[in-house]
Amino acid sequence: MIHFDIEKKLHSANGEFILHASGKIDSGAFVSLYGASGAGKTSFLRMLAGLMKPDNGSIWADDIAWYDAQKRIDISPQKRRIGLVFQDYALFPNMNVRANIAFALPKNERSSFVDELLELTNLVNLASRKTEHLSGGERQRVALARAIARKPSLLLLDEPLSAIDHEMRMQLQSTLLNIHRKFKLTTILVSHDAGEIIKLSDRVIHLKDGLMTPLLAPSRMFMSNGDNSILLGDIVEIERTGSESFVVVLLSDRMVRISSAACEQALSIGDSIKLTYDRNFPRITKLESTPSD
Amino acid sequence: MAMAGHAQNKITVAVAANMQYTMDALKVEFKKTDSTEIEVVLGASGQLTQQIMQGAPFDIFVSADTDYPAKLAASNFAAARPEIYTRGVLVLWSVKPGVQLDPTLKNLVSENIQHIAIANPTTAPYGKAAKALMEKYNIYDKIKSKIVTGESITQASQFIATSAADIGFTAKSIVISNQMKGIGHWIELKEEDYPAILQAAVLLKYGQENRARESKKFYDFLVSPPAKEIYKKFGYLAK
Amino acid sequence: MIEFEPFWLTFKLAFFATVILFLVSIPLGSWLSKKGNIAKTCVEVLVSMPLVLPPTVFGFYLLVAFSPENAFGGFLDHWLGLRFVFSFGGLLVASVIYSLPFMVHPIQSGFSSLPPSLKEAAYSLGKSRWDTLIHVLLPGIKSSLIAGVILTFAHTVGEFGVVLMIGGNIPGKTRTASIAIYDEVEAFRYGNANVYAVILLILSFVVLFTMYWRNRRTQQVRIL
Repeated sequence: MIHFDIEKKLHSANGEFILHASGKIDSGAFVSLYGASGAGKTSFLRMLAGLMKPDNGSIWADDIAWYDAQKRIDISPQKRRIGLVFQDYALFPNMNVRANIAFALPKNERSSFVDELLELTNLVNLASRKTEHLSGGERQRVALARAIARKPSLLLLDEPLSAIDHEMRMQLQSTLLNIHRKFKLTTILVSHDAGEIIKLSDRVIHLKDGLMTPLLAPSRMFMSNGDNSILLGDIVEIERTGSESFVVVLLSDRMVRISSAACEQALSIGDSIKLTYDRNFPRITKLESTPSD
Repeated sequence: MAMAGHAQNKITVAVAANMQYTMDALKVEFKKTDSTEIEVVLGASGQLTQQIMQGAPFDIFVSADTDYPAKLAASNFAAARPEIYTRGVLVLWSVKPGVQLDPTLKNLVSENIQHIAIANPTTAPYGKAAKALMEKYNIYDKIKSKIVTGESITQASQFIATSAADIGFTAKSIVISNQMKGIGHWIELKEEDYPAILQAAVLLKYGQENRARESKKFYDFLVSPPAKEIYKKFGYLAK
Repeated sequence: MIEFEPFWLTFKLAFFATVILFLVSIPLGSWLSKKGNIAKTCVEVLVSMPLVLPPTVFGFYLLVAFSPENAFGGFLDHWLGLRFVFSFGGLLVASVIYSLPFMVHPIQSGFSSLPPSLKEAAYSLGKSRWDTLIHVLLPGIKSSLIAGVILTFAHTVGEFGVVLMIGGNIPGKTRTASIAIYDEVEAFRYGNANVYAVILLILSFVVLFTMYWRNRRTQQVRIL
């Protein structure tokens, strides 16, 4: 069980704010962290990993203090037994796929575990490739296999699937689920994608205005008042033809073109929106999660 | 310097660097009787010679030795035979309090002398003289390993003045200069013990062709009695 | 007469200066590549100073500093038994200081260009700082390291002014190839000077060619 209650002053594009994160994550849980960019999701993961020092508070993993401001404990990332998958993957360019994974193996671990991981992440054929010749999805799988090679007690995934095309993302989501079931790793996934969150996680945390909501079941988080026709997406285009105008919305797996009459307020490209149907009429509402607007 | 050389009342003199202060005094003396302006270009004698041979626009060359002027004359750059204008005096110099100075060089073999500075004996006349002196007293081979060589007499003097070398051979003109006066102690070495350090000047063809009258006048002044008084004052023997 | 000792001495000097600078510049370049205060900026500027100072001026200061009569030189002489004037050791120290920017700058910019996540990834995998340096960071800046080695080596081989100022032109100890060439030119022995220069060029070409060639070949292996 991970138990954290930490504070950190952060700088975002909209100025300084205090991130106050507290909560408890059960062993073996798969938790998603949801929130606008700049809300402090990556910083939160980095503090758990020991790569960033909180200003105050404590982090406990089972009965071990990883960080405790009052007791002046701050153990190094090396000793925290975490697996971290970076946004930019951070693969070692001087090593091939197998070496990247093997490098992470603890000294007493049998090397056949690398083969097991290669198999699990579908990388057997790419084992001797240099990482610079891999596609985004392949790199992501290497990063994932490397992160779990150490059998961490906590797996941290920082938007691992955001830069990958749709089909590959589906495959990787399955891989993640397999891994989670197989190793029962406590996992925290940063994600923007409601569909992904619902598919993968047991619980979701929403990080907003520097505060964390309590852990909720994903279904409760993304469903409002029993309305189960809610869809989340992003505005990718706004078209104006004569008197009419349309917005093009990217939903998790498709794009739809909807008359802008459905919009409750002025929207711009890039806005995250919620699409609901009210007696068969679409309604587009902007998600509040972009703090500045 | 090429530009400046075109004014009719101005000549350019290439001067061995260690003659710098003497040349300043010579200029002042010359000014008393003549309105010609003297522009001085300083450099090592060897480098100035190479520059002249590559066509540098110098009217007169005042060398720190006789070989370079002779070389210029032999290569057809001289307008007249080189003239010896003065003679240098070799001294033994140390800035270390404990070091004895002996004109017969006996103490150079002593253990508390680790480094002896001289100017490069193949290119610098003071270096050649110092080497000859050591050979005369039959100690050159014994102390060969202690010798450190400066490219010029100026550099050899730096080795001594900074006490990087315990002792060394240099020019009297250096140890009595305003900059070095009173630093350490020195003795003059016997004139007859080493080959004369003759310094020659040469009127260059360039000067002859461009400013014959002014160049000749200054060239003659270099060996005149008032100039000889100045050489003495600056630590040379008037020839 | 052509002697080979100046070449042997020159390459010995360049080799040791390069090895020492390599070892010194990795921690220094890594430290400089991180964010820092005004003190770090001062060190950064000091490292670049040899690029500004003319070699003979720099050599003269070293001559003064190393002189046993002065505080620093006296300390070295008295307490450590080291005499840096007119010795190979002195040339080595001078070359190390004078070539410092040629090794530090490429290594520093190599470290700066590495994404910070590489180091963090290694730490998060439980790797010590040393393991991370040896297995991740240094291989990651390999081409910067090679550039530093080549620049330093070449610069030391060609160094003249500093050696002239503090070496004392002692055959076998401080008479390097560049000094030997200078002496020959000064003595109007152009033939000998040419022979020395050609030998120096050929030897340097062979050494640098070997380094570049090896680098090129390992790069190709990477692509395969």
